[in-house]
Amino acid sequence: MNPQLKGVEQLGGTYLFDLATSARALRLNRFLHGFTVPANRALFKEDPEAAFDKAGLSAEERRMVRELDWAALMRYGASFFCLEKLGRVKGVSNPEMVAGFRGESLEEFLKTRNVPGAR
Amino acid sequence: MAKILGGIGTSHVPTIGGAYDRNKQNDPDWAPLFRGYEPVKAWLAQRKPDVLVFFYNDHATTFFFDHYPTFALGVGAEYAIADEGLGRRAVPPLKGHVGLARHMADALVNDEFDISVFQDLPIDHGVHSPLTMFWPPSPDWPGKIVPIEINVLQHPIPTPARCWKLGQAVRRAVLSYPEDLKVVIVGTGGLSHQMNGERAGFNNEKWDRKFLDLIARDPRKLVAMRHADYIRLGGTEGAEEIMWLAMRGALSPRARKIHQNYYLPMTTAMAVALFEEPDAKPAPRKARSARKTRRNGARASA
Repeated sequence: MNPQLKGVEQLGGTYLFDLATSARALRLNRFLHGFTVPANRALFKEDPEAAFDKAGLSAEERRMVRELDWAALMRYGASFFCLEKLGRVKGVSNPEMVAGFRGESLEEFLKTRNVPGAR
Repeated sequence: MAKILGGIGTSHVPTIGGAYDRNKQNDPDWAPLFRGYEPVKAWLAQRKPDVLVFFYNDHATTFFFDHYPTFALGVGAEYAIADEGLGRRAVPPLKGHVGLARHMADALVNDEFDISVFQDLPIDHGVHSPLTMFWPPSPDWPGKIVPIEINVLQHPIPTPARCWKLGQAVRRAVLSYPEDLKVVIVGTGGLSHQMNGERAGFNNEKWDRKFLDLIARDPRKLVAMRHADYIRLGGTEGAEEIMWLAMRGALSPRARKIHQNYYLPMTTAMAVALFEEPDAKPAPRKARSARKTRRNGARASA
């Protein structure tokens, strides 16, 4: 146990990205990180299944990405910063992803913000 | 010899760069953010530093989890703007100060700070999202940078105390560089935000304001805190505040906070704070010549 993190487990709704999570979701995160390369984005847009095959994603990983199931992707171990790249490719904003993590619609989430137009 | 003029702490939310790129300065939703950077921009335009040393974090862009560096010093002459999934921002590649960076690598390693080094890699919004707000390219960047990446993505991440010590070591490294360079230290990240789980969207303005006070007045209190404290008070990504600690550690205890701005429009508290070293301010011309006269007078009468 990392002594710096003692007590974090008592916070609800928080998923720390540690070495166990990183190892568990390495293949998925590598796939998402790959969106920094234009050719990978092009393949994913043109033929998502071919992109999944190339990355060797499991059936569950494919489903979560296909359906943009942000909450499930997070629980599975996707790094937010890798998901952010999927968001950019799919035209989904960070507030919309955050709403997904919270189990809210974008509209519901924006009601909780100080300046909903600042996107 | 190189000298440190001051420091800047700033958030690095991608939308800060996005607001700049979309010319949102007169949009009421964004104007308070732009206004908050104006004094920093003016200070830099007046002081004209040669180099900005950046403590920042990468966002699984330049580096991936197959090898995620805890601390990495950029020693290149040029860094491309990273493609984060949307193509590159339309700003020029960042220019690295190779001489200072190589000296810092030598100095840090000999100071027992065994930092890894990188070159010829792109850099993401952790550096250039806030940079355009206070050091805009017109058309090219006004000076050079030395980037220092800190892992805040994959735990274990370095402790607040270690980041403070890194800042102190960077200070020693910069001040021992023989060339007459004017250097400003920048720490990017924070303030409160959380980008995962049902707690995503968490903010804590009260804590943010306390942090902005302590970073100037009593940074040792912040250094003594654990990551669990930062996460509880400022959300999981609030841990990015350790980059501010590294920046503050690179300043002298006499550095003064001369400006700050706080704006919390959406999911991340966007703050900027400007610190000035006491001897950074050039004396007004009149006062300088008066002192000279006095000195000459004293010598003449002695």
